[in-house]
Amino acid sequence: MGLVESGKLPKPLTNLLNISRKYSLWMYQWGLACCAIEMAAVMAGPRFDVMRLGVIPLPASPRQADLLCVSGTVTDKMVPSVRRLWEQMPDPKYVISMGSCANCGGPYWDSYSVTKGVDQVIPVDVYVPGCPPRPEALLEGIVLLQEKIANEDMAEKWRGDPIVVS
Amino acid sequence: MTAVTEPTEQDQLAYVAAKAADSRVNVELETDDGMTLNIGPQHPATHGTLRIVAKLDGEQVLWAEPIMGYMHRGYEKLVEVRTYPQVTTLINRIDWLGSFANEVPFILACEELMEIEAPPRAQYIRTVLHEMGRISHLIMGVGDMGVQIGALTPMFYAFRDREYLLNQIEAATGGRFHPNFDRIGGVKDDLPAGWIAETTRIMKTMTAFCDQMDDLLMGNEIFEQRTRGIGVIPPELAQLYGLSGANLRASGIDWDLRRDSDSPMAWKHADFKVITHTDGDSFARTWCRLQEIRESAKIVTQLLDDLPSGPIMAKVPRIIKVPAGEAYVATENPLGEMGYYVVSKGDLGPFRVKIRTASFSNVSIVPWILRGVYVPDIITILGSLYFILGDIDR
Amino acid sequence: MIPLSSADTATEDTSAEDAPAEESGPSDEMREALLAEIAGLLGDSLVESHIVPGKQLYLRVTPESWKETHRVLRDEMGFKFFEFLSAIDWMPSPFGKSEDASADAGIPVTKVEDPGEIEQGFAGGETRFQVFTRVVDISHDTPGKSVGVIVKVDVPDPHEDPEPVLETLLSIYPGTNWHEREIHEMFGIGFTGHPYLEKLYLPTDFEGNPLRKDFPLLARHVKPWPGIVDVEPMPDDADESDDDSGAAAEGGDDA
Repeated sequence: MGLVESGKLPKPLTNLLNISRKYSLWMYQWGLACCAIEMAAVMAGPRFDVMRLGVIPLPASPRQADLLCVSGTVTDKMVPSVRRLWEQMPDPKYVISMGSCANCGGPYWDSYSVTKGVDQVIPVDVYVPGCPPRPEALLEGIVLLQEKIANEDMAEKWRGDPIVVS
Repeated sequence: MTAVTEPTEQDQLAYVAAKAADSRVNVELETDDGMTLNIGPQHPATHGTLRIVAKLDGEQVLWAEPIMGYMHRGYEKLVEVRTYPQVTTLINRIDWLGSFANEVPFILACEELMEIEAPPRAQYIRTVLHEMGRISHLIMGVGDMGVQIGALTPMFYAFRDREYLLNQIEAATGGRFHPNFDRIGGVKDDLPAGWIAETTRIMKTMTAFCDQMDDLLMGNEIFEQRTRGIGVIPPELAQLYGLSGANLRASGIDWDLRRDSDSPMAWKHADFKVITHTDGDSFARTWCRLQEIRESAKIVTQLLDDLPSGPIMAKVPRIIKVPAGEAYVATENPLGEMGYYVVSKGDLGPFRVKIRTASFSNVSIVPWILRGVYVPDIITILGSLYFILGDIDR
Repeated sequence: MIPLSSADTATEDTSAEDAPAEESGPSDEMREALLAEIAGLLGDSLVESHIVPGKQLYLRVTPESWKETHRVLRDEMGFKFFEFLSAIDWMPSPFGKSEDASADAGIPVTKVEDPGEIEQGFAGGETRFQVFTRVVDISHDTPGKSVGVIVKVDVPDPHEDPEPVLETLLSIYPGTNWHEREIHEMFGIGFTGHPYLEKLYLPTDFEGNPLRKDFPLLARHVKPWPGIVDVEPMPDDADESDDDSGAAAEGGDDA
């Protein structure tokens, strides 16, 4: 049993781990609609350049990702895939819900085919409002998430017996 | 052309479609008779959430069938319960890269039913914003085509130059992505001070971008090898499938609603060329798009040069009620012909709106065109058809 | 300037076999000539027609001649460009118009008891549902000469009479494949001969045909639109603010 699971992680070690985690987020892009273009502007656009915040875009697989960015309209047909993708990500994992559609359904609040908020199927850490949010808003959301990670007590979160896959 | 119109092909179509539906997301491989390759619903090459199920024999595609609906938001139902001014907010988001262009045909259809016409200055501003939307859209298309076949640089350049354009659209409309600027009877605001000079300057940047892409992409040997002769669409078939926009013009059909319709918009005052290409392959489609950016930049510069003065709104009642009737208006949007069939019963909102989107028809040729190609060419063909998922699924 | 349409709701009952439609407003010789030519080719299968001068030509044909009409239009008239195929449910919505629409306009919201009679649009009709296509002849190069035709056909309510009356247009315009699937999904209207009429957009377990007028948008029933909630009077708009707040109160009351 490691230090983290025993719940006896010394504070300086927690800080060190948190700093290293918050500046090496692999962001898996789940670009669905308009917001995907703004997210792409953040990831690939020279003006916004998310890598200066220590976020590495475009991992090859969700199994390598720490951060999932759901950007755009989630439909009922898409929901199983979103859930399945999130389940494939290893812990600790974080979710940013970008845009009004992913937050609550947005302009499609009365649609028969749109899921009213991705938080119905996966837990969301940071909501970025806007339709679509400006790239700066997504950067702000990432900064907020990094603050959250920095203040996390890992030992508190993962106390208990480790899950062993046999 | 006749090959697909024969009734015997229907059996094959049924087989294709039935197989496509049967392979669920979690069945990615089948080993009994060939291999089923599932691309999507989330794949960079599908511009969003298109899913393509392809049956392979080795490296060759036996059949492929797109499965859509992952972005279906029910537009045609939602606009029935909204008022006319509310509808424009919603329809901005159909084709999210060329947002302003989505509003224009709907507004024109409503104006046709209300028998009003926007003043000339408003028509000019509309046309300028429509063309700027087209440039920002096609820039992404060309940059994205590079990414599809492994050249990342065009994408970075595209994002770089697109930002200038979005700044201008934002300065005029207040919306970076979704302007919601078009009103029945005119446009919302006049252009801000200094906007015309700055936009004219940026149009030169856009032309420079085209030159750069001509060098980087079109003259690139690898690019040519990957795209020349790949995914050829015969002109006859393109018409029967309802392809429009650069996909149709690249097959050699000289058809552009900017020139060929009697739209009240200001295109008739501009001098521009309709770009066509005779090859009909992936290269021709990308090439047409690139040259259309040039032409659009020319249109914007010309129209801004002789922008008429005057009011920007016609006289419209405060509460908009559209008289009963039916109207179909289509314009040449970045992806092709987009039209709205508006049925009104004299209420505050439309009775029924059929939204004819370009991508839906453009992508409907995919099962035909992907038959027999190799796996890397799937990506090339999809990239060169250039669609937006919101435009397919609505 | 383009002549503006003079047509209104009143449908023209001019039979195509008769002399060209007598318009009260500006005439459209090009479309009238086209209509006469089409009427000659179609004969009895053309039921009604309507011209919006300078804008559009509407035809209504019998369901039996649906496929043959399109073959004639494609092969003999040159309408090779297939634009769309769609359908319409002419029944007024039993749920009324949108709540928010009424709230914004300051009209009290009432539950619609009598939604009104079914009233078809241009070129008339007899049934609640109509399917229509638009095909275009794009071989003309001169501006404004590129003409399109909207072809309508009556179909019975597919929920009452599930036997499809229309033949698929797949062999005429292969692009209709997905359009017909969409119509089948959205209205329940079937097409004989279509090899794969399955859901196009919606998940396989979705029930109902969303574009039918009797399909409710449940979100609106569960959670009514509150109207205008946070209206602050505009600085120069003191008189209008009263209207808006009244509208908000009325909109909020609706369940």
